[in-house]
Amino acid sequence: MTTILKLVYQHNRLMTGTISKIPAVILLVFVCSCGNSSMRHGGLSFPVADSVPAGEAEKLSEEAVADIVQNIASPVEIASILQSMQVPFSAGYLAPTHEADRLTTNFQKAVMLGIYGADLGYLNIYEKTGNSVDVLATIKRLADGLRVGQYFDFETLKRLSVSKTNLDSLLFLSVNSYNQIDRYLRENNRGSISALMIAGVWIEGQYLATQVALTNNESILRDRIGEQKVIIGDLLMLLRPYRDSGEEYASLYSLMEGLSQKYAGVKVSYRLGEPETTEEDGRLVMVQHEESIVEMSDSQLAEIAEMSKEVRNKLISGN
Amino acid sequence: MKCRFFISLLALMLLTAAAEGQPATDDLVSSCVLSAGENTTYLKDFRVQLPKAATDAAPPVYKANMYLMKNMKYRFSICNAPGSRGELAITIYDQGKELISSYNSSTGKKYNSIDFICNKTGLYTLWYGFVNGEQGSGVGVVCMIR
Repeated sequence: MTTILKLVYQHNRLMTGTISKIPAVILLVFVCSCGNSSMRHGGLSFPVADSVPAGEAEKLSEEAVADIVQNIASPVEIASILQSMQVPFSAGYLAPTHEADRLTTNFQKAVMLGIYGADLGYLNIYEKTGNSVDVLATIKRLADGLRVGQYFDFETLKRLSVSKTNLDSLLFLSVNSYNQIDRYLRENNRGSISALMIAGVWIEGQYLATQVALTNNESILRDRIGEQKVIIGDLLMLLRPYRDSGEEYASLYSLMEGLSQKYAGVKVSYRLGEPETTEEDGRLVMVQHEESIVEMSDSQLAEIAEMSKEVRNKLISGN
Repeated sequence: MKCRFFISLLALMLLTAAAEGQPATDDLVSSCVLSAGENTTYLKDFRVQLPKAATDAAPPVYKANMYLMKNMKYRFSICNAPGSRGELAITIYDQGKELISSYNSSTGKKYNSIDFICNKTGLYTLWYGFVNGEQGSGVGVVCMIR
């Protein structure tokens, strides 16, 4: 990575500094005016709350949620595997962006923010960055709608995408934006939105992997799909506290449960082995010889792929 | 009124200080990502700030659970914040069993990064702590090696 990354962060530094000072000014105004009855009765407007009451999240402690969500789904790992398998890029796998404007609820916005995040990772890994501006603009709109747009530096990302000069910086900035949004949401009692975004990233990655696997029998990809049996359980645990919060949440949870059931027959076993540690170029390198082994039939894969597609398409259609 | 003014001033000072702290951490994350080297893709960062270990107590650690996937190569880089007293170290655990650490307490040898060639998908625990339980701050960055 080059100086562009440094420049990106110099820019971000200014942005973050300015944005972070805004709450200080708001608080100052609020404290100074708290004795003013006219301000107290309607002078300040508060943001619309997410549809899940903060208390709901208490069913699963914040610490436990944080434990679960670290890298439960990365927007770039699946795309990276596909690229390493030399699977050609296909725009047909991307979620359409033209319907994003009609998304009205925070539920829809959060899920789609995750889905488009995975698509952005796919575009960037394949260096289809010129095509990503539309996805970037949609992500920006959704992030603004969820009041987390400050973590998504659209202009810099757009500039890096169009110029195609520094893929590493683009990847870093886009993944980092998602990490920052996730961190901010969890730290501000908006765990439901974070969980939905993570579910969106995961389901789009799952859709992409399973669709490719239907026509490509590489064991790396099949293993990756089969191993999601381990992860989907945690994803359900992440979504569980919110399932009674509304129809949309209940529907998503039910769909994910359905997908989890398709994994019932998939076996993940482990073969023991001692790790091997060496030193290379001043780095410590460990090769793990303990191994996870996936057993999944073609019919199980087909069912998982079908269900993954159904869940993903239902989320995209907003029904 | 005076009291309210001082509360406001204090709040402003505290929040401004917090606002200044964030970019410094962001800079450290970006420089740590740079130090991970070529052919890596950033996945995650962990911002660690820990107090000095109390006498006769276990050194404080920051723990994070992270899914690591089979057939992936990960690079765990650690970077100390400017002025940090302690030197950050990472230890990777798999179901409570220590796999590897960037600090060897018996030889005193320290590494700035660990490459982990993963063959078992699962939830791993990353322990970040400062050598000898010193007070310190720093960041841990996880990248995927392409």
